[in-house]
Amino acid sequence: MNDIGKIRIRVPSSVKPGDVVRVRCLVIHPMERIERDAQGKIVDRNYNYITRVTATYLGKPVVAFDLTQSVSENPAFSFALKATAPGPVKVTFVDTHGGKYEGAADIAFA
Amino acid sequence: MAEPITRRAALGTLGAIGVGVAAGTLARPAGAAAQDAPAALGRHESVQDGLKRVFAGRPMKDGAGVIKLEVPPIAENGAVVPVSVEVAAPMTPTSYVKNIWIVADKNRIPIVARASLTPDAGQAFVGANIRLGETTDVRAVVEQSDGTLLTTKREVKVTVGGCGG
Repeated sequence: MNDIGKIRIRVPSSVKPGDVVRVRCLVIHPMERIERDAQGKIVDRNYNYITRVTATYLGKPVVAFDLTQSVSENPAFSFALKATAPGPVKVTFVDTHGGKYEGAADIAFA
Repeated sequence: MAEPITRRAALGTLGAIGVGVAAGTLARPAGAAAQDAPAALGRHESVQDGLKRVFAGRPMKDGAGVIKLEVPPIAENGAVVPVSVEVAAPMTPTSYVKNIWIVADKNRIPIVARASLTPDAGQAFVGANIRLGETTDVRAVVEQSDGTLLTTKREVKVTVGGCGG
């Protein structure tokens, strides 16, 4: 699973200043789900899943997601932001095993 | 369901009373939301318990006219169900959509995700891929900056469950 933490972020290619744009991002992550033993009891261990996603634009927070194990493997998210100036969109993922993954994309005006 | 008063519920209520009553709705203290550890969000519980734990019985208005909850009517694979929530509400520093919860009623962990927005988003829109264990209602609960809760729900038919054992 060397791909854990690979992030793809897609922003629209033609953006005009002031537009509200939608950004999509995807991270490769197993998002382990709860396992149960033969008796149906929950196996108690530290499951590796992403608990928090934060997105910033021009250094300011835009959206933060708190996630649970009910979120899909290789989770994809989308959110909106108001494009006021060219600059980076950064997305940070934090999982329960201490992993921290970051990705960035640039908003550029056509 | 009879449930002993938990420390969380008690503290949450006390905090809410401390902040005061805004337009007949108890406002949730901003600090309490920030302190909610993400791990506390996902618990094995019934949806009623989950909603009670997160929202402490605060009144929810029907937001069907405001919230656009997009879910597939039939999900062939419950492991990946794209859900998106769009709220027709202004996003200004004085009035904006603060939190959007996605809730799947019959999941073992019904509170799926919470998105906290800032006015910089420009539009109250979030999307995520979630798991659904079986055919269930999916709800979106929206909290506005003045503390108003709005909710709407739609059913998703799931042919193959995605939550596993």
